[in-house]
Amino acid sequence: MSHETTANNRSIFSGKPLRILIGFILVVNGMFPALWILFTSLKTESELTLKPITWLPHAPTVANYLRAFTDQPLLLFLFNSFMVAILSTALTLFVSVLAAYALARLQIRGRDLILSAIIAVSTFPLVTLLVPLFEIMRALGLLNTWVALILPYTVLSLPVCTLILVSFFEGIPRDLENSAMIDGCTRIGALFKVVVPLSAPGVFTAGILAFVNAWDEFLLALSFNSNPMLRTLPVGITLYQGEFAFPWPVISAALVVGIVPVAVLIVIFQERVVSGLTSGGIKG
Amino acid sequence: MATASETTLVTTRNESGTKWWTRFLDPSEGTLAALLLLPTALLLTLIIVYPVCRLIWTSFQNLSLTSGLPASFAGLENYSLMLDDPVFWETTWNTVLITLITVPGALLVGLALALMANLPFNVKWPVRLSLLIPWALPLSFAGLIFAWFFHSEYGVVNDVLRRIGFEGVIWFNSANWAFAAICLTIIWKTSSFMALIILAGLQTIPRSLYEAADVDGAGRLRQFFEITLPLLKPAIVVALIFRTITALQTFDIPFTMTRGGPGTSTATLAMYIHQNTVDFLDLGYGSALAVVMFVLSMGVTAVYLRMIRARG
Repeated sequence: MSHETTANNRSIFSGKPLRILIGFILVVNGMFPALWILFTSLKTESELTLKPITWLPHAPTVANYLRAFTDQPLLLFLFNSFMVAILSTALTLFVSVLAAYALARLQIRGRDLILSAIIAVSTFPLVTLLVPLFEIMRALGLLNTWVALILPYTVLSLPVCTLILVSFFEGIPRDLENSAMIDGCTRIGALFKVVVPLSAPGVFTAGILAFVNAWDEFLLALSFNSNPMLRTLPVGITLYQGEFAFPWPVISAALVVGIVPVAVLIVIFQERVVSGLTSGGIKG
Repeated sequence: MATASETTLVTTRNESGTKWWTRFLDPSEGTLAALLLLPTALLLTLIIVYPVCRLIWTSFQNLSLTSGLPASFAGLENYSLMLDDPVFWETTWNTVLITLITVPGALLVGLALALMANLPFNVKWPVRLSLLIPWALPLSFAGLIFAWFFHSEYGVVNDVLRRIGFEGVIWFNSANWAFAAICLTIIWKTSSFMALIILAGLQTIPRSLYEAADVDGAGRLRQFFEITLPLLKPAIVVALIFRTITALQTFDIPFTMTRGGPGTSTATLAMYIHQNTVDFLDLGYGSALAVVMFVLSMGVTAVYLRMIRARG
């Protein structure tokens, strides 16, 4: 009957009011927890102990944010998280660009075996290596340093970044590379002057995934850095103890501070992130 | 002697027409590949291969940093201790239960979210963002936020329950309610990733298949089970395997919500490994526990690799 009937526009859901309702359900499901913690962070302490509880803040205040930054070294936690994430992202990209180029372009014996190994690593449970990594970091004197986290985080993101980059590199015409080499570029030169710039979207996608993986990691950050001054944001917020009960107003403000940087990244690069996740989906 | 042979070397290189430094900058393809893969190999050796060997070795050792004694060979002692340790069985059972509940749970919720998100919305970004935000939220943040949701006095969950005429539940005082709260949180957190993967699969299904089915008079439900679901299978299987492996490692959400309590009723194997390693510094026993988890997840990975091979 109607030619508008397509895979995307099917079934009982095609009525407009119903579609708006479904969109609303999706948005509430995804956004409500973050919004609720934002509302909580804007409430005064006395409002938070009202019963029944209030939903929207009656008299929004930034007092909790000021306390979040003064009661604990939140700025330092942010800095630690940021540095660990950015440094491990840079290292991951560098290492995986080299590996992906070899796998995409060079004749290698056992290429399939190497790719299988990389996929196997992507499912590797890092938790099980807690003891040996703890011992290795202790032996190398790396406990309570950023490096103790940067190295494992690099390995955590290496497989997915390599796989994304291999597929991007395979899409770059060899002619472009060859003509650069005729112009006197070495192979490595051609990699960094031609292949990487042309694969910028892939490099970017891989970089965002690596950043988010590192920003989110909790167990190793909790285990390897006993010095409170070296805590990353998730660990710092979780281990934050108030004088009496768990200080929810301050915690919620700190959580909002931790959500904003990644939320901004996601809002700006949403399409890239989706394409990266669905091409080499890795974490849950 | 040494100088003489070096000179010969240099001459041979010059005779072959390339200077040594261009050979270094532009090596043969095999050498180049090895050089490019070297950093990856070094990292994987330091962070995965060597630690795995060390893990297995340590699991046969008495090695407790609190005792102050040097490591000594323990044979299977750690493993036999483990089999008699009720907390090992409890945490392993909790981990398996969390996997069995949250993986299918996240799949069903994720499938529903994906089907809903696949509707032709005029503005696409709010829907896309509401699938991405839960994915990007750190697990530990999700745990903290939902712990506040389930707060017995001031939580929004009990508020809603009271408004619709139920009693509020004291979630974290009872093993079963605490476990339920943890599972709900994990399902919420992980279903959006499932939805993203399934949504990408949905968008590759050609519309013509549905048009043909319409012509043949197949109903919506039949189309879903005979076109949509079979074509989604590869995407779903990959998502399920990743989810299963991460579910076996569950740590962040129970840790931030309950610290494993009440008692050890919501503690997972990963939490027990962490406790033995970092809190008790009993590295031998922590390693034996980790070997169990290693074997569990390698089993899942083996299935995954076999399926990828089968698909070519």
